[in-house]
Amino acid sequence: MGPVELLHMSVFSQSFSPCGRFLAAGNNYGEIALFSLSAALSPDATGLSQKPVLTFTAHEGPVFSLLSTDCHLLSAGNGEVSAWSWTELIKKNIKPLWTKRPNYKSSLEIPEINSMTINSRDNSLIVGGGDNNLHVLDLEHGVFKAVLQGHSDYVHCVTMREREAEILSGGEDGAVRMWDSRTAQSVHCIDVYKYESCARPQFGKWISCLTTDSDWMLCGGGPSLSLWHLRSLSPTSTFPLSGCQRQAAFYQDMILAVGEGPFVSHCLLGGDVKAQIPCSPQSLNTLQLNTNSTEHRVLTVGGSSAHIDVFTNLSYRAFSLSF
Amino acid sequence: MGAVTDDEVIRKRLLIDGDGAGDDRRINVLLKSFTKWCNSPATAEEGFTQYQRMLGTLAQCEFSMGKTLMVYDMNLREMENYEKIYTNIEQNITSAHEKIAECKKEIQRAKRIRKNRQEYDALAKVIQQHPDRHETLKQLEALDKELQQLSHIKENVDAKLELRKKQFHVLLSTIQELQQTLENDEKSDNDDNNQESPAENGE
Repeated sequence: MGPVELLHMSVFSQSFSPCGRFLAAGNNYGEIALFSLSAALSPDATGLSQKPVLTFTAHEGPVFSLLSTDCHLLSAGNGEVSAWSWTELIKKNIKPLWTKRPNYKSSLEIPEINSMTINSRDNSLIVGGGDNNLHVLDLEHGVFKAVLQGHSDYVHCVTMREREAEILSGGEDGAVRMWDSRTAQSVHCIDVYKYESCARPQFGKWISCLTTDSDWMLCGGGPSLSLWHLRSLSPTSTFPLSGCQRQAAFYQDMILAVGEGPFVSHCLLGGDVKAQIPCSPQSLNTLQLNTNSTEHRVLTVGGSSAHIDVFTNLSYRAFSLSF
Repeated sequence: MGAVTDDEVIRKRLLIDGDGAGDDRRINVLLKSFTKWCNSPATAEEGFTQYQRMLGTLAQCEFSMGKTLMVYDMNLREMENYEKIYTNIEQNITSAHEKIAECKKEIQRAKRIRKNRQEYDALAKVIQQHPDRHETLKQLEALDKELQQLSHIKENVDAKLELRKKQFHVLLSTIQELQQTLENDEKSDNDDNNQESPAENGE
């Protein structure tokens, strides 16, 4: 990987292994790199432990989404979903378990897959991408069992509302749609850009970041990042962050958000921005918290750079892993 | 070269230090002088001087031994003291660990409480934007009353209208009947006249 490629690299997705000791990151060249967290966090870590233990090309196009289940790593790129076994990857065996492609109607161009989420109730994978639809793949039988149609432009982000078994999806058309996972019908549709408190017409109406904890939902993108109460479908607070947010997460009593701008924003549920912690990439695409392991509880962010910043304490950047 | 120097060193050390160092040397010298004194054919004065010297050396040895015993006692007591301090510090460490765990739990609880409060505040903000329930109920009641009044008035007006209609109907029907009667009378009058005139003309 030459220096020019490293300069143009963007990290689009991350996922922690189920044991919590490894981090997989996908970049715009279609590669997935595996980093060993236990080596990088150990007291005798060297510069070499911040390099990947394994790098391989997973897809022909950028890897926009990575997801970990109990024993598999699912990656989406070039319109297809591949599954890898974590134990095999740790042993440096890079053969995928399977690769599946949803039934796209048009055969001319291959729409990209932007986001994936798992519905743990019926063990299915929901992918959303460039063909404006959400495809539901049954992981037990390996067939695509449903197509959720409703968006009029491509789908940016998909997430799961655990308690009510609903799927939430946000797209370029500015709508956040809620689907019932059993009947595959659209239950609600919120046009975020129509609400005055959140709308930012200068950025557009697209929704690029969506996350929920069953009662509350965070969504942002063109409109400002806002917190919504799902039962009453009303926006409760808006966060005064300049720039468009690309990923947000609920953490304890705070909200962590990343997007344009070289920092991680810590916000309170009331709408105040508590802190903005600087990072090395100029703009950030992905944010992940390692909840699978108690001794490697870190926050990692990646963006438009070949470096992934690791935060052991949320208040400052500890070190960076690099591709 | 090193081996030669080593031999020299060993020889020199044996010559100087043959009896061992310090107290050991004193005891060895005492033993030697005792055996010499026992076997010496010297005069009584010299024997007495040597005897005195030996007593002196013995006293020195006893003194040194007493000192060593006291130092040993002191060391034992210091060890005990250190043991005590050590266990004390260990206990403090464990209690500090426990306190830290407690505090961590407390902080988790406090964060959860803060999150709940903030959610509550956010919802309260939204709810405040909607009008008060009592106000709305009062408005509803007032509107109800107005509605009742207006329907009451409408009923009255309807009743009046009915009454007037009926009265007009009565009036008009009476007028019509009168008209009819008058027409009938006129007709019968005309008929009478017509019957009369031909009768008159016929005569």
